[in-house]
Amino acid sequence: MVATLPRPPAVPELLPDLEAVDVVGLFRTRAQGESVVVHGPVGRHGVPRAVAGIAAGHGCRAYMAWEDLPVPGVTSALTGAGVERVEHRVPNEMRIPHQTEYQGLDLGVTGADAGLAESGSLVLLHGEGRPRMASLIPEVHIAILDANLIERTLVHWAHRHPGLVFETANMVVVTGPSRTADIEQQVRLGVHGPRHLHVVLFR
Amino acid sequence: MTSRPVTFLSRAEAILGTREAQSVDQGMRHLTEMRDVAVAEFPIMDALRDRARVIRLHALANLDRLLSHFADQVIEQGGEIHFAADAEEANEVVARILEATGSRLVVKSKSMVTEEIELNAHLERRGIEVVETDLGEFIVQLAGDTPSHIVTPIVHLDRHDIGALFAEKLGVVETVDPTELNQIARDHLRQIFLRADAGISGVNIAVAESGSVITVTNEGNGRLVTTAPRVHIALLGMERIVSRWEDASVILEVLARSATGQRLSTYTNVVTGPRRDADEDGPEQLHVVVIDNGRSQILGSDTAEILACIRCGACLNVCPVFRTVGGHAYGTVYSGPVGSVVTPGLLGMEPWWELPYASTLCGACEEICPIRIQIPSMLLKLRARAAAEGRLPGWLERGIRRYTTTVYTPTKWERAKRLAHWITGPISRDGWIRRLPGRGSGWTAYRDFPRPARESFNTWWRFNRGS
Repeated sequence: MVATLPRPPAVPELLPDLEAVDVVGLFRTRAQGESVVVHGPVGRHGVPRAVAGIAAGHGCRAYMAWEDLPVPGVTSALTGAGVERVEHRVPNEMRIPHQTEYQGLDLGVTGADAGLAESGSLVLLHGEGRPRMASLIPEVHIAILDANLIERTLVHWAHRHPGLVFETANMVVVTGPSRTADIEQQVRLGVHGPRHLHVVLFR
Repeated sequence: MTSRPVTFLSRAEAILGTREAQSVDQGMRHLTEMRDVAVAEFPIMDALRDRARVIRLHALANLDRLLSHFADQVIEQGGEIHFAADAEEANEVVARILEATGSRLVVKSKSMVTEEIELNAHLERRGIEVVETDLGEFIVQLAGDTPSHIVTPIVHLDRHDIGALFAEKLGVVETVDPTELNQIARDHLRQIFLRADAGISGVNIAVAESGSVITVTNEGNGRLVTTAPRVHIALLGMERIVSRWEDASVILEVLARSATGQRLSTYTNVVTGPRRDADEDGPEQLHVVVIDNGRSQILGSDTAEILACIRCGACLNVCPVFRTVGGHAYGTVYSGPVGSVVTPGLLGMEPWWELPYASTLCGACEEICPIRIQIPSMLLKLRARAAAEGRLPGWLERGIRRYTTTVYTPTKWERAKRLAHWITGPISRDGWIRRLPGRGSGWTAYRDFPRPARESFNTWWRFNRGS
């Protein structure tokens, strides 16, 4: 029998009200401050064109994508722009040869399960049809985010969605492209993860 | 931990005035400035700090039940759980997992507890190659050095040091451009990530309700280490846990802001079990190793509160002593104010009783701590413990005893105060003592001391207020 979980005392005013803001505007400002390029919000039908445009701008040749992107038409737009789709499932047996092929991958396209305005962050829940590598290996990561899913802060979002940790083996909150400041405390982008992060907002 | 049983003072003196000391000071000032900006900008920071303290103290007060629940959940989610009483057990567990899975090449993301137990050396003796992937730790490993700060491990090195190191060890053309240095490291390590058999990570915070382990990194190595290899081993000190995901979110909100002034680290990686059947990628096996190694001793002592620490490093960044001497002076992996409390707790008072004295008790650490841990009062408790164990030098011991008897006897105290005024006549000017002779000159090099008044306050009070 699973023991009951002790929990810290609940308090009524745990999350004080923050001054009401335009969360989409705040998200854009904060994300841009983290070197994220924010596009839109565009209409749903504008997303595939936006994604293909970004890919072309970076000269991408090969991409990996989530199966369940939030809007249709993205993969065909990328094909139309001459970007080839790469299969993403990593089999347990052929793991290493399969993964070392990933090094040539320029682009990863994913959805996002939430945006966090205060920090300009994205929340990605991985799983079936949603490879973790898509937002990790390629130099360029494009995330397609429904603007209605933007909340104010991590704590607000977490308290509004308890039990979310059970839904996936891997949830990642992404705040900007990868970076380090280990060398002389100077921030440099593109260390082990993507160097470029684009968010395409839609309504 | 292997540590250097040379005194704190001699280690500190070796560093004073060097380029390393200057780098440390500059680095720490920068981090504290960034932290202050982030805190001022975030209107609910103070409320969250209060809440974080409640959450962490609650966790310590219920640690056994939280860990039990956590263990059940790790198994429920398809992982394996191991409890290690000490460093030797923890190292053995990890080595056996690696051997059982045929893992010869291991990638590792930053973990203080693995440095504490000296995991790398143990694995290397077993013929397993371990590559540090956190850029600072990678450089430390390449240089055969040790980290000088728990969050910014190579704050004591500059681009010239690193350029020369890469040229020597990686056979690349020497460069001192930080962008090129980063690219060299990225290219070199990417090969290794994708070919590694196992990934070893630390845990910033564990979540009891779901058996989740959370690691935060800026570089993405934390994600690669826990995604690319077939096996993921996560190690944590047994105190690094909270009850629920909501509680973890509070810790995460205060962690990065306090550490580096970032609102959140670039990647907050929440792992709950190994990959699920239909997942596209991720490790097949997850092993979680929960380590005691002296923590239960601390939990039962008067310095238990130090276990609430979330390892943000803010106390190091703000400490005037740390800024002057850097992390190596403290002699073990845990340096600065937190190290001064935790090291004597984990390793005993011999010879670590010195560390609580490496402090001016200014209280900056407590003021900046996101968990509001009362470090100065714990430093005093450890000093009292040191004194009770007879560790103070004889002259200090006798001097304090004489002072105590004087202060507690009113007639002696009155006489002492009058004496103090007359004695300090020759060495003061305009009511200030500006230079003390001998060892006292260390004090007056930086500050003046007011000359004790001719008439004590008690005397004045008796005359002007009656008895």
